[in-house]
Parts: sequence; structure tokens; C-alpha cells
Amino acid sequence: MESVGLNAYLFVGAVLFVCGIVCMAIKRNGIGVLMGVELVLNGANLNFVAFAHYTPLGLDGQVIALFVIVLAAAEAAVALAIALNFYNNHLTIDVDRGNELQG
Amino acid sequence: MFQELLSKLLDETAQHSLRLAGPELALTAGIVLLLLGRLLSFDRFVPPHWIALIATMAAFGLSLAVFYDANRSDPEFSNHSFTYFSGLMAFDKFTALVRLFLLLFLVFVLALTVLSGIPDRDDGPDFYTLLLGASIGMLLMCGANNLLMVFLGIEMASVPSYAMAGFLKGRKQGSEAALKFVVFGAGAAGVMLYGISLLAGMLGTGDFQEIGIRMAVLFGNGEGALTDPVRATAIRTLILAVVMVFVGFAFKLSVVPFHFWTPDVFQGAPAEVGGFLSVASKAAAFALLTRLVLALMAAGTTALQDVYLTLGIAVGVIAAITATFGNLAAYSQTNMKRLLAYSTIAHAGYMLMALAAMIVLQSGRIGGDAALGERSSHAVEGLLYYLAVYLFMNLGAFSITALIRNEIFSEEIEDYRGLGFQAPILCVGMGICLFSLVGLPPLGGFIGKLLIFASLFDAGYVHWSMWAILAIGGLNTVLSLFYYLNVLKTMYLSERPTGATTVTFPALSSAGLYVILVSAPILWLGIDVSLVSNAARRAAEVLFP
Repeated sequence: MESVGLNAYLFVGAVLFVCGIVCMAIKRNGIGVLMGVELVLNGANLNFVAFAHYTPLGLDGQVIALFVIVLAAAEAAVALAIALNFYNNHLTIDVDRGNELQG
Repeated sequence: MFQELLSKLLDETAQHSLRLAGPELALTAGIVLLLLGRLLSFDRFVPPHWIALIATMAAFGLSLAVFYDANRSDPEFSNHSFTYFSGLMAFDKFTALVRLFLLLFLVFVLALTVLSGIPDRDDGPDFYTLLLGASIGMLLMCGANNLLMVFLGIEMASVPSYAMAGFLKGRKQGSEAALKFVVFGAGAAGVMLYGISLLAGMLGTGDFQEIGIRMAVLFGNGEGALTDPVRATAIRTLILAVVMVFVGFAFKLSVVPFHFWTPDVFQGAPAEVGGFLSVASKAAAFALLTRLVLALMAAGTTALQDVYLTLGIAVGVIAAITATFGNLAAYSQTNMKRLLAYSTIAHAGYMLMALAAMIVLQSGRIGGDAALGERSSHAVEGLLYYLAVYLFMNLGAFSITALIRNEIFSEEIEDYRGLGFQAPILCVGMGICLFSLVGLPPLGGFIGKLLIFASLFDAGYVHWSMWAILAIGGLNTVLSLFYYLNVLKTMYLSERPTGATTVTFPALSSAGLYVILVSAPILWLGIDVSLVSNAARRAAEVLFP
């Protein structure tokens, strides 16, 4: 099977990254923002795995990708707990409604 | 073949690495004990803060022991850093010193949480687990020697901090602070990871020592090396990657334009957590950033000299903007924690100035002036000294805020009226901390600022813009005087309003002793400079072989 080359993978990674950033920027819903974060992390992960295959980075890239998956899970767990706590106090998950702290 | 490799790895880990990772292991053991205490319910007999305190003391002792051991057994130790865990971590005097700072600070924070009663008995194990977990991440940050460890350390320090910010669960403000923190933090970490992926991919390695070598191979030496189209593309990608990595750091250090979270989080979170975040995570992030920047500059490729110089100036300009913004925004604050948050932003700016001076001086050194190496080591020395003073003065300010809150149940500056005569020990302590934050002699903050400004002055000989930044830094010091003084004015020159609770705060209580213990080192660091500055100098010299 013919390989598509490094750039194709990097392109997909970049698209995921940009989607994630846009998602973080325009979503009002707290969970939506966290989904954007996941997209960004996965875009970076795709980069790592692609680099691992095509460049001297080698297995290091795959190992980093594995660590990132674990960390993303840990971060999501904490973030969801915090989102739930926010909902309990505000009865909404709209991040713009958190407006008590200003000045 | 495989077995041979495996046994070699195990030998190295058992004999060498595990010993050096002693402090981290001690903290981990503390966490395990805290969690087991919950599970087997012996936390009713053994208070969780004792477990945390003993684990931290053990970690402090171990890191001292490791340091003396290395100093004695290895004659090369004073000018050389060695790696462990197969190159993922590095250990040298710089790491050892920052580790000691962090662990000492952790002891103080633990003592404060015991005195101020946050967390309560039920939440104790959870809170201390998070606190120790974040500290392990910070210890990893200051010894990181690989891009993987950079990300791992930062995330390990951040994720527990998010939870700590929202620790008082029922409070609206606390939950809002935590949500803002986690959303901004996760976003910044994502951007940073993408930058790391580009950096590691372009250079084909994550190891800090290797990074310099690969850069030299990639860009070669001499003028005009960058006109080659392949190299031009490579350098553009690398700059993009470095900028993205810096976004992550800028978030941790609360540098403009990634500072939004700081005031909100510090106001919403308990003052104890604010104190921890504002000192420990900044110190660790600065140690890591210094290491990373030096790794990127290690090869001394002359082709990149201009790129480095531009980077240094950019960092300097951002530092100047950060300091100015923090100081100006602090003026209109009525809440003490929020004021301290803006002051934290301003101080991140001052410390970033030291880093900018170091980058500019190093770029001059790459340009051929070998004498500048020593001067850039002075910049790091200044940074370390500032961090040492900052540890006490900022912790002091936050802890006195927490102690006053326990007395009058308010953190508004307005409610501090007339406290100066009712709780003299608290207000004198606060005065020492605030004057040191301004940078008035004879307090420690003055010496710290002096060292940083001196290295900015040196860097001005390489590029004049550093003198401009020095001028802005000096101006900022004057600017900051007024809002700090305003707090003291409220405490001392206003009458205590009728009907307000009368505060009796005896100096001879454990809390009074704590205030004295925190504020005395500020005075000492301002008068006896030699001990800490010698340690800082020796630690800084390791980074500039």
C-alpha cells in the first residue's frame, strides 16, 4: 500500500487543532469548550504519531502520545467534576453566566 | 539482547535514579498514606495534615541528602548536570536549589492550612492529596530534561490546582473560579502540546541536550545560512512551535495576554490556595522555562543569533507590558485577594525581565563576546534570589489575608479600617510583606529587584531596548508604591468603624509566631545577602558551562 506521506497527517492534525481552537473560542457551553480542548490534544497527538513514523523521533513520539491520552482522560475527569459543581451552584453550564468575579 | 538492555535499565533505575527521585517518592508515599487513611478510616486517629507535613519534611530532608551526597561523591557536580531515568530528568545544583525552595514553601503552606482551618477535618485528606500531587508535578517541572517531562510536569501541577481552586464546593464564586481556571488552563495546555509536537517532530528528539545538537546540524553556522529555502521554512516552523510552547508558559506565569484567569481564580479560591499557586507554580515554571530556553540556545549557532536576540527583546517587551498592566490594574481593586492577584501579575513581569536579559546576553555571547556568559549567569542568579524573596513576601501577604479573614470574615480592603492598632502583629507583618513587594530597602524585595535591574543594565550593552525596559521596570516600582500603601493607610490611618468586630490577635499564639516566621526572612534576605546569593550564583553557574 502506498503511503500518503507525512504532510497529509500533519494537515489533518492542523485541521483538528484549528477546529478545537475555534470550538473553544465560540462555544458558550462549558462542556463544548472542553470538547474543543480534546480536539486540540488529539490534533497534537496525531502529529506525534505521524512524526514517530516518518522522522527520527521514532518510538518517543508514540510514547508521548500514550501519555497524552492518559493525561487528557485525567484532565477531562477533573474538568467534568468542576463543570458539575458549577452547575450545582449556578443551574446552568453557560460559561458566560459565571460573572460574579469581575473588576 | 533485550534482556541485557532490560537488566541494565533496571540497574540504573534502582541504583541511581530512584535515589535522586527520593523527594518525589516521599511525597507519593504521603499521598498513598492519605488515601489509605480514608479507605481504612485511620484518618480519625492520625490527622491528615500530620501525614502531609511528615511526607514533606521527609522530601525536604531527602533532597538535602541527595544534594550533599552528589556534592561529596562527584567532584564534577558543581559545574555539570547529570541525567537520570534514562535522560528524562536532569539533576544539578539549579534543580536542587529550586526543589529546596519548593519543599520549604510547601511546609509553610501546610502550616498555614493548619492554622487557618481550611480545609476542615472531613476534607483534609482530599485537600492534602491534591496539594502534594501538585507539588510533585512542580518538582518534576524543575528537573525536566525532555519535552515529554515538560508537558507531564506542567499538567501534573495544573490538574490538581484546578480542583483546589474550587475546593469550597458550595460557594458560587469558588465554582466559577475553578471553571474559568480549568477552561483557560486546558486550552493553554492544548496549544502548548501542539507546539511541543511540532518542536519534537522538527528536531526529531525531545531530549534537552540533543535539541541543541540537532539545531546546530539543522542550521549550521555563518551568515546567510537562513536564506536557503528549506532552512527558512524550518526556522519559521520552529518559531511557531516555540511561540505555542510559550503560550503554555505564559498561562502558568500569568503573563499578559494570558493573565485573565489570575484575578478571578485568586479572588474565588481560598487565600491559602492563592498563595500556593502564586508562588510555587511560578517558581517551578520559571525554572523550567530557563532550562528550556537554554536548551534551545545551547548549540550557539551563529546563524540564529538574530532570531535569539529578537526572541529576547520580545520576551522583554511582554515582561514590561505585564508589569505595567498588573500595577495599573491593581489601583482600582477593593478586594485584597484580587489586589494581590494583580500584584502577582506585575511580579511575573519583573521576573520575566530577568529571563529576557538572560536571552539577550546569551545571544550576545553567541555573537562572540565570551565574557557575557558570566553576565547571563548573573541574570539567572537575580531570578533565583527574587524567587527566594518572593516565596516569603507573597506567601506572607496571602497568609495574613487568610488570618485576617478568620478574624473579621472579610477580604475587602475597606473592612481593614483601623486594624493596625487592634492586631498589630498582623498589620506589621503585612506592612513588611507589602513594602518588600514594592522593593523598598532594607527588605529582601529591594535586593531582588536590584539584581534583576543590574542584569537588565548589562543586557543593554548588547541591545539598547533592554535599557528602555529597565526604565519601565523602575517606573513600575514607583507606580506600585501607591496601591500597596493604600492598604496600609486603611489599616493605620482610618478609625475602626463603630459596631465592627473588635479583633484581638495575641502575638504569642501559634498564628502570631507563624507571621513572625514568614516575615523575618524578608528582613534577613534584605540585610544578609551573601548566603542565598552565593547559593543562587553557584546554582546559576551550572547552567552556563
